[in-house]
Amino acid sequence: MPELILTILRLIFLALIYLFIWQVARAISRHLGFGQNRGSRKTGKQIAVVRSDSQAGMTFAVNGATVVGRSDQSDVQIDDPYASEFHFRLVNQDGSLTVSDLGSTNGTYVNGRRITTPTNLRRGDALQVGKTVMEVR
Amino acid sequence: MTRTAESGMLVAAAGVAAFGVTLVILAGGQTIDSRIGLTFAVMVAAFGTVHMAIRRWAPSASTVILPPAALLTAISLAEIHRLDPVRAGLQQWWLLIAASMTVALLFFLHRRGTATIRRYRYLYLLTGLILLLLPLLPSTGPLPVRGLEVNGSRLWLVVDLGITEIRFQPGEIVKLLMVLFLAGYLAERQSALAERPRQLGPFKFPEPRQLFPVVAVWAVSLVVLVVQRDLGASVLLFGAFIGMIYTATGRPTYLLIGAVLTASAGYGAYRLFDHVERRFLAWIQPFQNFEDAGYQVAQAWFGMGTGSLAGSGIGLGRPDLIPNAATDFIYAAVAEELGFAGSLAILAGFALLIGVGFGIALRCRDRFRKLTAAGLTWVLGLQAFLIIGGVLRLVPLTGITLPFMSYGGSSLVGNFLLLGLLARISHEEPA
Repeated sequence: MPELILTILRLIFLALIYLFIWQVARAISRHLGFGQNRGSRKTGKQIAVVRSDSQAGMTFAVNGATVVGRSDQSDVQIDDPYASEFHFRLVNQDGSLTVSDLGSTNGTYVNGRRITTPTNLRRGDALQVGKTVMEVR
Repeated sequence: MTRTAESGMLVAAAGVAAFGVTLVILAGGQTIDSRIGLTFAVMVAAFGTVHMAIRRWAPSASTVILPPAALLTAISLAEIHRLDPVRAGLQQWWLLIAASMTVALLFFLHRRGTATIRRYRYLYLLTGLILLLLPLLPSTGPLPVRGLEVNGSRLWLVVDLGITEIRFQPGEIVKLLMVLFLAGYLAERQSALAERPRQLGPFKFPEPRQLFPVVAVWAVSLVVLVVQRDLGASVLLFGAFIGMIYTATGRPTYLLIGAVLTASAGYGAYRLFDHVERRFLAWIQPFQNFEDAGYQVAQAWFGMGTGSLAGSGIGLGRPDLIPNAATDFIYAAVAEELGFAGSLAILAGFALLIGVGFGIALRCRDRFRKLTAAGLTWVLGLQAFLIIGGVLRLVPLTGITLPFMSYGGSSLVGNFLLLGLLARISHEEPA
C-alpha cells in the first residue's frame, strides 16, 4: 500500500470524526435552545431566568402575549412559592416588550422597582418575582 | 435532530468504526477480510437495537444522547482492534450484551417509568454495598462466585458458569445504584441541606446532623480505598456524591467540604499505603521513577509526544509499548495514533455527552429525575476526567476505565445502562 494513500486515508478518517462531531454539536445546540429566534434576540424578545431554585438557565421567547405565573394554566410556569397563579403578562408588539402586573400578591419588580402600570422593557432589564430573577435578552 | 437523523448518525458512527478497522488492516499490510463488515454490523446492531427500543418505549427521549457515545465507541473499537484483535472480538460481544441489557432496562421502565426506581432506593444502597464487598470473597474455594485481585486492587468478581467463567467489575454497576439511591435521598432532603444556620468565621454551615450522609458516603469510599485498594472507584463515588449534593443545594460550601475530605483521605492513604505512594510518585516524577511506577505514564507521554498534531496514523504508532494501553490508557493510545486532533475529538465527544446530560437535568421539573440525570452525568464526566487527567498527569492516576472507550465488559454495560436511564428521563421530561 503506497504511503501517500494511507496518509490521505487517515486524514480522511480524522475529517470524518470531526464532521460527525460538528453535526452532533449543531443538533445539541439547537436542542438546548441556543440560536433560537436569532433575529429576535437583538430586539429583546427573549427572557432568561437567571436566579431561581429550580429553573435557572431556562429561557423562553415572547411572541404576542405571554402570561407568566405559578399556575400550570399560564403560558410560562414559574416554580416560586411567592409567585401568584397568574403573575404578570408580557406583550411583544412589533419588537417592543411591555410587562403588566396582573394584580399579583407580592408584586412584579423591574430593575428593583415595583411596577404599578404597564412598563416598557429593554434588553438587560431585570424582572423579579418573589425569589425568581429574569433578564430580558 | 429527528429520530431518523439520529439513526443516520448511528450508521455513520458504525462507518467510522469500519473505516478505522480498515485502516488498521491496511497499515498492518494484511489483506482485507470480514472483520470490517463484522465491526460495522456489530455497531449497527448494538446502537440500532437501543435506538429501536427508544423509538418504541421512550419515543420523546432526546435524540442526541446516543450519537456522541456511538462515536466514542467507534473510535475505541478501531483502536482496540489495533492493539489486541482478540480483545476487540470480545469487546464486540460485550457491546451486544450491553445493548441488550439497555433494551431490557427501557422495556422494564416503559410502563411506570422512573417512579418505580425511586420507590426502592434503600434496596439500591444495600445491593450496592453488597456488590462493592463481593470481590472480597476468597479467590479460591468451592464457591461459584469468587473474588480476584488484579494489579494490587481487589475489585473483580469471577462467576463460574461451569463451561466458562465471566469476570466482572461490580464497581461499574455500583456507581449507577449509588446515583439512584442518592437522588432519592437528596430529593427528600434538599431544603434541609441547603439551609445554613451555623456560622464559622466567614463560612456558613448546615446543621451538623444534616451532614451525616456526607460523612457516611465518605466512609464508604474510604472502605473501598482501604479494603479493595481501589483509588479510582473511591474518588469517583465520593466525587459524584459531592457533585450531586452541590447540584441539589447550589451551595459551593459542599465543594469545599468535599475537597477537604478528599485531600485529607488522599494524604492519609499516601502515608499509609505503598501503592498510593507509588501512584503519587509516578504522577509527580514519572521520569525519575521510569524503571518502576513511572514507566506507564512515561511511555504514554512519549507516545502522545510522538503523535504530535495528526498522529502517527492508526496502526502505525507503537501504543503497544504502554502497559494496559487497551484499558486504562486507551486515551494515550488514541492520542499517539490519531494525534492531538483525535484526542481533541474524544474530549469533544465527552463534552457533548456531558452537555446533553446536564441539559436533560436542567429541563427536569421533578427533583428525583433532575438529581438522577445530574448524578449520572457527574459520574460519567468525573470518570472521564479522572482517567484522562491521570494519563495527562493533571491529577494522580486513579486507574479507572474511560467510559465507552476502554476495553472491558463491565464498564461498557454500566455506561450503556447509564445512557438508557438518561434516555428514559428525557422521555419523561420532554423539552
